[in-house]
Amino acid sequence: MKRKDKIINLNIIKRSALEGLMLVVVAALALEASSLVQYYFSQKGIHEEAAMRAQAQLEAARSQISDVINQTESAVHNSEWIAEWCLEVPDSIPRVSQRLVEDNPVTVGSTVALVPGYISSLPLYSPYVYRDGSDSLIFRSLATEEYDYPSQEWFTKPLETGKGYWSEPYVDEGGGEMLMVTYSVPIHDKKGLPAAVLTADISLDWLKELIQGTRIYPNASNILISREGRFMVSPRGDAALETTVNDVVGQQDDSMSFKKLNQSMLSGESGSMQLEFRGQKSHVFFSPVDRTGWSMCIIVPDSDIFGSIRRIGFIVLLLQVLGLGMIILILSSFARKQLQYKKLNENKQRMEGELHIARGIQMSMVPKTFPPFPKRNDLDMSAAIIPAKEVGGDLYDFYIRDEKLFFCIGDVSGKGVPASLVMAVTRTTFRTVSAHESDPQSIVSQMNDILADMNENNMFVTFFCGVLDLVTGHLSYCNAGHNPPMILTDGIQTLQVVPNLPLGIMCGMTFQGQEIDLNYDDAIFLYTDGLNEAENAEHEQFGMERIASVLHGRKSAQDHLKNIEVKVKEFVGEAPQSDDLTLLFIHYLAKEGDSGGSHRLVLVNDIHQISLLPDFIQRIADEKQLAPGVTMNVNLALEEAVTNVILYAYPPGTEGTLEIRATVGDHSLRFTISDEGQPFDPTAAPEVDTNQGFAQRRIGGLGIHLVRQIMDNVRYEWKDGKNLLTLIKYI
Amino acid sequence: MELIINKTDNKVVARLVGRLDTPASQDIAADVQSLIEEADKTIILDCKEMSYISSSGLRIFLTLRKAAADKGGHIIVRDINDDIRGVFMMTGFLNLFEIR
Repeated sequence: MKRKDKIINLNIIKRSALEGLMLVVVAALALEASSLVQYYFSQKGIHEEAAMRAQAQLEAARSQISDVINQTESAVHNSEWIAEWCLEVPDSIPRVSQRLVEDNPVTVGSTVALVPGYISSLPLYSPYVYRDGSDSLIFRSLATEEYDYPSQEWFTKPLETGKGYWSEPYVDEGGGEMLMVTYSVPIHDKKGLPAAVLTADISLDWLKELIQGTRIYPNASNILISREGRFMVSPRGDAALETTVNDVVGQQDDSMSFKKLNQSMLSGESGSMQLEFRGQKSHVFFSPVDRTGWSMCIIVPDSDIFGSIRRIGFIVLLLQVLGLGMIILILSSFARKQLQYKKLNENKQRMEGELHIARGIQMSMVPKTFPPFPKRNDLDMSAAIIPAKEVGGDLYDFYIRDEKLFFCIGDVSGKGVPASLVMAVTRTTFRTVSAHESDPQSIVSQMNDILADMNENNMFVTFFCGVLDLVTGHLSYCNAGHNPPMILTDGIQTLQVVPNLPLGIMCGMTFQGQEIDLNYDDAIFLYTDGLNEAENAEHEQFGMERIASVLHGRKSAQDHLKNIEVKVKEFVGEAPQSDDLTLLFIHYLAKEGDSGGSHRLVLVNDIHQISLLPDFIQRIADEKQLAPGVTMNVNLALEEAVTNVILYAYPPGTEGTLEIRATVGDHSLRFTISDEGQPFDPTAAPEVDTNQGFAQRRIGGLGIHLVRQIMDNVRYEWKDGKNLLTLIKYI
Repeated sequence: MELIINKTDNKVVARLVGRLDTPASQDIAADVQSLIEEADKTIILDCKEMSYISSSGLRIFLTLRKAAADKGGHIIVRDINDDIRGVFMMTGFLNLFEIR
């Protein structure tokens, strides 16, 4: 890949990564916004609910306190007339208080305190009745020097105002000995003179229980303060009369808010506000208690109110973060996959490029110029190879050596690159072995040994090897497990083959060869199973019958193959090609029929017999109406060949014969010179260098040189104890 | 095949008549030998009536050519027909001889 392409690719990747990131950010923002809205409304709802709950509790507490207050006030007012009556009978005064305490469970203590000097015999008189822990009543006189009841507020205030008075909370030392509040009313005698004060005490322990008894939130603090700002029920739950709210305001972090709260509560307002309490942001709800001038407040830490929603919010946030993390992970893995895919694609392109080159190399291994032998008129052949993939395991090959056509077709097991490598090896092996071996049976055996020897991957090759003697039409062949070829003679038939095993399975196997004679115009058609097993979309195979039918008609080899390719393509249709397809068509045209005459001349090994040649040649020349120059050349070639036999075939002094057979065809003259002398191959003589000067020129060697120059084919063979020299001249 | 030799002072004209095939080459071997002896002179090989030549005949030509070179003579080949010229061409003999 070019550097520029790489940069562009990187930019594309960067841009898509950026787009992905933006997508994540937008998604995150949308998610957060919706959560915030939800959170806001939830918080608002929860806040409202908290306010409602606080109000409800304040209301409940207030009404309970009011009940107690009312009960106490009623009890006191109901006892007023008795107290007034008892002024006449001082001995009965304690009974007023006793009855008041007995009849009213909320009242812990009561007294009737006489105005000093009202009854001269009793200058100070205040019999006190109260309940201790048990329910029994205790009587006690408050007319002691230490207690000095006339100076107590509960005594002075009602007399001053002439009305009922609720005291500030106090610990009644020398009295009830408990934290209490007192309601006191003035008692006037029948003359209307102030005579005494009637009181009823309420224990603040009871109030504490009431106030602290219920908490709307686990960490809520309920506080009750008095008219003067004293803690009746403090946040700790106990009364601390000596401390006023003002005293503790300074200790609070949020003193300003506390001051404000204190003022609001002291002035009898109700409402809510926010402040910091014990280091926690809190909400405070407050409301006055009727008639007493008390005020109650509930301080709830925000964490209590909003704890759950914050917890939920936190969980939601956590989930969102996790979700976003997942999205990022997914996106990044997606991006990675894209990158990998891109890389794979690049690799694929590189592989495809290499495969393309490999295909070129593979195709260059098989002959693919057609017609392959344009100068020959004894042979018309064509071949085609169509791999299913870029490279395939099919092969064919052919070449001519010593007037023999060596050809083969093969199919390596498997497909693609591995098969193509074995194909290359097989083709090379064929060339190597057949270079010095003309018998297909031996070629196949030797190839098998070579291929089996290095076959570690258990690949095998079905193979058909043929050697066609172009002079005689004799075809010897050996089939190693390949599809039998079709032979086109008078009809179209399958060539009879021995089903040997394919090549490469085991060393040392024997292969059986076969032979047949081809006549002029016979043809042989070889193919691989990519043809007969070609499948259409319905999984129907092309089959042998279709093969036979497409071979009908007289066509050139090339047209035959083109026609077959078209027919197969039509048959297969859209179905993908499943196997390599290889075709090889050989049309034999050399061995002439009976159209020409056959001539024979037998000579003895006497050089003067050469004189018989001109007449013999002339007869043939006349038959074919050859030009004088051609006739002379043929005569010359024949004379040179025959001279060789006469002079060298038989040992000097021995007599021998030689036979010349001439076959005259439409397009060729064929001469076969045979003798039974010593094996002698005249074609093995070294070539004469015709460019040498006369000084270097040797006397010998000119004869065979002339034969080669004049004849189109020259072939020597030692067969059946005979020297056979065949000369062919195309005319 | 006949080889008719006509000698003058400094020139020998040898007329080849008929087919110079292998047997003929053997037949005229003696006459050829006499020609070789004259190889210090100019030998004109008159081929006007020679209708055929084989490699044996060419060998005679080559032998004469070598002899002439050895002895300082000169060989001229005259009036060969086109077919025989073809044979000379195939064998490279056209370049070895002065052909008129």
